[in-house]
Amino acid sequence: MATRSVQQGLKQVKPMLSVDRTEARRRVLNLYKAWYRQVPYVVKDFHIPVTVEQGRAKVREMFLKNKHVSDVRAIDMLVIKGQMDLVETANIWKQRNHIMMFFQDTVNPKPADFLSKFYEGQD
Amino acid sequence: MLRLWPLRQISRLQNAISLTQQACNKSSVPAPSPELVEVFVDDKQVFVEPGTTVLQACAAAGVEIPRFCYHDRLSIAGNCRMCLVEVERSAKPVASCAMPVMKGMKVKTDSPVTRKAREGVMEFLLVNHPLDCPICDQGGECDLQDQSMAFGSDRSRFTDNAFTGKRAVEDKNIGPLIKTIMTRCIHCTRCIRFASEIAGVEDLGTSGRGTEMQVGTYVEKMFKSEMSGNVIDLCPVGALTSKPYAFTARPWENRRIESVDVMDAVGSNIVVCMRSNEVMRILPRLNEDINEEWISDKTRFAYDGLKRQRLTTPFVRSGTGELVPADWESAFVKIAERVNATDGDLIAGVAGGQVDAEALIALKDMLNRLGSESVCTEEKFPMTNSGIDFRSNYIMNTTISGIEESDLILLVGTNPRLEAPLVNARIRKTWINSDLCVTVLGAPVDLSYDYQYLGDSFELLTDILNDKHPLAKGLKEASKPMIILGSAVLQGENSGAILDTVKSLSEKLRAGSEQEDWKVFNVLHTQANQVGALDLGYAPGVDAMKGSKPSVLFLLGADAGTVKREDLYENALVVYIGHHGDYGAQIADVVLPAAAYTEKDAVYVNTEGRAQIGRQAVSPPGMARQDWKIIRALSEMLGVTLPYDKLSDVRARLGEVSPTFNHAGQVEDAGFFNLSDSATVPRKESRPAVQPLSPALLSLRDFYMTDPISRASLTMAKCVQAVDDAEKNPYSKPEQS
Amino acid sequence: MAKYIEKISNALKIVKHNGGIVGTYLGLYRRDDFKWGTFVGEDKYGNKYYKNDYFFMGKSRWVEYPLSVGHDYDASQIPSEWHRWLQYIADEPPTQLPLPHRPWMADHTENFSGTSREYVPYSTTRPKVEAWVPPKK
Repeated sequence: MATRSVQQGLKQVKPMLSVDRTEARRRVLNLYKAWYRQVPYVVKDFHIPVTVEQGRAKVREMFLKNKHVSDVRAIDMLVIKGQMDLVETANIWKQRNHIMMFFQDTVNPKPADFLSKFYEGQD
Repeated sequence: MLRLWPLRQISRLQNAISLTQQACNKSSVPAPSPELVEVFVDDKQVFVEPGTTVLQACAAAGVEIPRFCYHDRLSIAGNCRMCLVEVERSAKPVASCAMPVMKGMKVKTDSPVTRKAREGVMEFLLVNHPLDCPICDQGGECDLQDQSMAFGSDRSRFTDNAFTGKRAVEDKNIGPLIKTIMTRCIHCTRCIRFASEIAGVEDLGTSGRGTEMQVGTYVEKMFKSEMSGNVIDLCPVGALTSKPYAFTARPWENRRIESVDVMDAVGSNIVVCMRSNEVMRILPRLNEDINEEWISDKTRFAYDGLKRQRLTTPFVRSGTGELVPADWESAFVKIAERVNATDGDLIAGVAGGQVDAEALIALKDMLNRLGSESVCTEEKFPMTNSGIDFRSNYIMNTTISGIEESDLILLVGTNPRLEAPLVNARIRKTWINSDLCVTVLGAPVDLSYDYQYLGDSFELLTDILNDKHPLAKGLKEASKPMIILGSAVLQGENSGAILDTVKSLSEKLRAGSEQEDWKVFNVLHTQANQVGALDLGYAPGVDAMKGSKPSVLFLLGADAGTVKREDLYENALVVYIGHHGDYGAQIADVVLPAAAYTEKDAVYVNTEGRAQIGRQAVSPPGMARQDWKIIRALSEMLGVTLPYDKLSDVRARLGEVSPTFNHAGQVEDAGFFNLSDSATVPRKESRPAVQPLSPALLSLRDFYMTDPISRASLTMAKCVQAVDDAEKNPYSKPEQS
Repeated sequence: MAKYIEKISNALKIVKHNGGIVGTYLGLYRRDDFKWGTFVGEDKYGNKYYKNDYFFMGKSRWVEYPLSVGHDYDASQIPSEWHRWLQYIADEPPTQLPLPHRPWMADHTENFSGTSREYVPYSTTRPKVEAWVPPKK
């Protein structure tokens, strides 16, 4: 018993926000709901060529992109960053192109084989 | 190397032991050999050969003496007085560059007297030197600037300058290459000594004395030399600067990339100065085996040709017969359509002289994979007897630095002064320093040294071979004779006879010589990578290729105009891969833009058979790509993908084909002289008629424009113009006297 | 009562100025306003200038663009001498006080931005590499 608590004590790290997975999950869901509710305003405020449904699908996609993260501290960090993004969006500190960056991959993949590298002129 | 390390350890150990023994014997200095002279430089003991100068002794002791007029490769003038040092028991400071060492001499290079002497000399030099460093092209690499900072006084005493003014000298026009601002001249006479000693042109000199002294050509005329640009490097101040480079860049803005020259077959080592993806100038790089520290004017000044007439995009000939810009893919598709429908035998490749070894091997590998064996160079070489089967038949066997050992040189059908100025400079150096005897079979051109002119007929050569000519005796008696055969005479009809005769003559001399490893036979090529192409198995000359009437022809930088449309199959597809819009691009159906020599990492083999790596300084312009990559990409489109993706892979392939490429910078010796001689079948005496043994380049005018880069160069065009004007100048001595 | 009479008389003046009820209605499409005033002058582009001090300063001088430009009118179509009067920089219109024409004065051009004749900036530096141009046959 004593050894286990020592082990636990050693394993325990300082929590960022949440102490366990349940709390972290709650925070994620809260953030998701906030984004979900914000989407219609985003579409309207930024005049982006995206419907509310598409926006919500994108929010879902962005959240699911980090589905594999299991570390509570990492989840908290992502939640904090998502929250910052949300605030920037809601206050229109962001601009249209920043919103549209969620929808478009602007960086083309680098050519890998010799011939396409040759056409691109890259070494 | 790994195997050698214990040996090195042992030798190090032995060194340590001997040092300890010496310490025990209380003799801290090694016993001097009797002929050495003991000198003390700042109380440090050095032993030098008798006859060396104080300046060299100081250099041996690790002390550098400031100097302006002294130069390692020039005679000693001793007129700038900057190298004054104090010598104990000497009444005055002595000019160290001109003073031979004496036994027990005690030199003080940092004493108050020495310092004061330097300050005084510097003060006198600056009396009449303009303070125009901010607008001077030498600024930043100026000896006077540097040394006045290091050794000059920290304040000026010239208050009357504002009233009397400084000495002013009229600028001189000495041609389109060298800009003179003679007010800056400090009369070190380095340029005069270079012209008369190295270049062999007595054009420069001084007139007047004291304040009235001027360096110049007496009457206004062009400094007519093929290596005149070197005085720019020699000038310690900004009196002689480069005209094309004037006001374009500062030395600290340039990045220096070490590379190799391709204007002639010498392979001079150069430094390419680059700024913002543009070649700003080209300087020589020290290589005692090849170019010492000189380069020819074509090497130095033809770089502006790299910026004109460039191919920057692929071209495809349209239905109306015009070349229209295209992208790489459509150009490749156009080639692939034709090649896939063509039999392998009807595909051929022709390589020019400036093409790098990587591109050569890539083209050869690709054509071989397509089923063609027809790859050749534009430059011819006779294939009679052993032909190019033995490497010793087509390289300069004695090497360029070997010239200095030679005591008799026979030049056959070559004008080294224009074909390879640095080889000529080496011959001249040897001619000055030893009793070298030069004989010439060819044209009576000005070689800048005296020679015995024999004539230009082929019969003379056979006479020498058959001991009917007085020279035959001289050649036999010479301890290290050299025969230099110019590649220009091998371009004509029946040139095999010339090669055979020269070969047999040199074999006779080599066999009869007491020098075991002295090789007599030398070929002086004119194309930068001709030896490399022959090493890689290219056939010399396009005649065999023309015989097969190819229907697809790849021209790899081939601009000499040896192939014409009429030589090919009707409606043949001509693909040109190269960097300039010259002859090749005009007859081509598909033009693929490639990189010039400053734009690629590439290997070139010079006439000695020395593989050297040229480095990339700038990127190829526009859509141009490096040559081997073009061929590699094209091979993929043609379905015969070459097995190399990286430069290192290509180099490895080069090494597989020829060991020359495995050790860059060194001469790969050629052997099998006996064998190649035995393969020479003696020919019948009834020889076909052979043209006179006349070289291609006869006067300085011919020297400037010989290849696509120099033909595109404005500076070189100005040089031709200036030489033409100089011919009309009544004060200018005619070149051939 | 007098207020209404004035309104009606103004309305009549507007109709007269615009050349009838239809003209007033169509003018509304181009000017978004009802105005009447005295004709001051016309420039070489066909712009007509009016003034009416009944309106407050800022509204008392205006331009009616020619029908030929349709709805593609903008303020850069007004030449500088009329601009001077229109923006109250000067009291007299150029018809009364013509400005001296200096030989170095360029002719007025409107702003062509957004049209095919718009100005496109280009580099004036010489290219570092001069490309080869294939010879024409």
